[in-house]
Amino acid sequence: MTDESPVDESPVAALQFADSLLPAGSFTTSYGVEQFVAADEITDADDLQALVETYLDRQIGPCDMVVVAAAHEAASDGDHDELRRVDRRCSAAQLPAEFRESSTRTGGQLCSLVAETEDAPFLAAYDETVEAGDAPGNYAAVLGAVAACTGMTAREAAMVQGYSFVTDLVAAAQRVLRIGHTDVQRIVTESRPAIVAAWEANEDRTVDELSPFAPLVDVLSAEHERAERRLFLS
Amino acid sequence: MAATSPQDAFEAYAAERLPPAADGAVGKEGRLDAAFAAVDGETRLVQDYATVPFHLTGGLDHDEALPDLATVYLQSPTGAVAQGDRHDLSVTVGENAKAHVTTGNATKVHGMDRNYGRVDVALSVAADGYLEYLPEPTILHADARYRGETTLSVADGASAIVGEIVVPGRLARDEAFEFERAYTRLQARDPDGLLFEDATDLHPAERDPRRPGVMGDHDVLGTLYVVGDAAADPLHERVADATTARAGATALPNDAGVMVRALGDRGAVSGALDAAWDAARRTLVGAPAPERRKD
Repeated sequence: MTDESPVDESPVAALQFADSLLPAGSFTTSYGVEQFVAADEITDADDLQALVETYLDRQIGPCDMVVVAAAHEAASDGDHDELRRVDRRCSAAQLPAEFRESSTRTGGQLCSLVAETEDAPFLAAYDETVEAGDAPGNYAAVLGAVAACTGMTAREAAMVQGYSFVTDLVAAAQRVLRIGHTDVQRIVTESRPAIVAAWEANEDRTVDELSPFAPLVDVLSAEHERAERRLFLS
Repeated sequence: MAATSPQDAFEAYAAERLPPAADGAVGKEGRLDAAFAAVDGETRLVQDYATVPFHLTGGLDHDEALPDLATVYLQSPTGAVAQGDRHDLSVTVGENAKAHVTTGNATKVHGMDRNYGRVDVALSVAADGYLEYLPEPTILHADARYRGETTLSVADGASAIVGEIVVPGRLARDEAFEFERAYTRLQARDPDGLLFEDATDLHPAERDPRRPGVMGDHDVLGTLYVVGDAAADPLHERVADATTARAGATALPNDAGVMVRALGDRGAVSGALDAAWDAARRTLVGAPAPERRKD
């Protein structure tokens, strides 16, 4: 091994940033599932599976994954201003307030974390920008930048995003819905092709073409913001 | 897998040539420019340029609760968007002026076998101006291809209420979600840049709109954007309590204001948006919404 060809650690980095061990606080996020259960819109594993697929098709693919890829490209180019533009664009397209709050809270935590743990001045500089309030620090934008700095491709970064989303959502569902471990794993398994499809349908989009569209999720999120009893931030 | 963003899909439609128009056919490229200015404590329509199929009423209506507000009806004798149509509307509200712009009836987007129909709307509100842009619903007939692009620019201290209702077919004849593709987008900006954007992206043959989380069991989608110094909670309470629509309100990004989303049947969604309009108007300009004069 020479300095010119460092060993490729990126598959391990992908596992690290998709792992629920990652202390980014995503356990506070249910993506509205808590409200869907409270409103009896979700009562079993089949309903949950259908909602996961809606999210992947309508939110994660045409918005989050596009942001991940654009942030990856900006970070690969070392373009701090472009990353900030992508990050702001993500906020502008994310209309439910509690989703934005979750996204910037977890994204800010991830950014502070990697500023400490990664040997990447670009990430440390971006963390300062987020801390100073000059960039929102959305999770998808930060993840895309981290992925670029740890050698992942944009596609791998999008897979990490998709997988993390699915596991966060089903982990939240386990706390508010009677659902067994086998059903949970079945949903994750059946989501694998949907995660890949979400990427492939949107990989050529730019951040000027974000089109998340899940109006019923928006309404339930608005109800959840005001629910008297809730476990999750969103 | 085919990567087709809505933008790419409409570019492909645009390449489809239209059949030759009959002699004398006009109105494919309808244009309307309206500008309002504050003059001597009232608001006047100071510019009114319209080409077929558009016509703008003068200040027909007098809003008793807001005497300095001008109300105009954007009229289109066809009330429709057909294949190949490109409609371009602009509404400009000057400093301290107040205007309400609506349409006389619903806009029907006809079925198409070539090309597509597009409506661009540019709304601009100068410092301390106020605009209500609340057109009647857009009805997407079977085989319609529709793209709507709306931009809203607000200066410092300006506010606006913009509404959109999308009806997915002639529901009374059990036509629903039989259109080919519909993509509408609103982008709102202030002097610092993009405040928020919202897209409606429907392509029923490819992706079932009645999925959980998308439209669910509902047909009609309504959204009201309240841009200015408004809070979400009172609007949420108003639409959640006062209507049979499934509706809620949330704070927009960048402290831009509030968005109200409503799903349900047409009457319920219109009712929810009217209730939210009334509540938002009381907050922004201290006056209730007037009775509708066109029902």
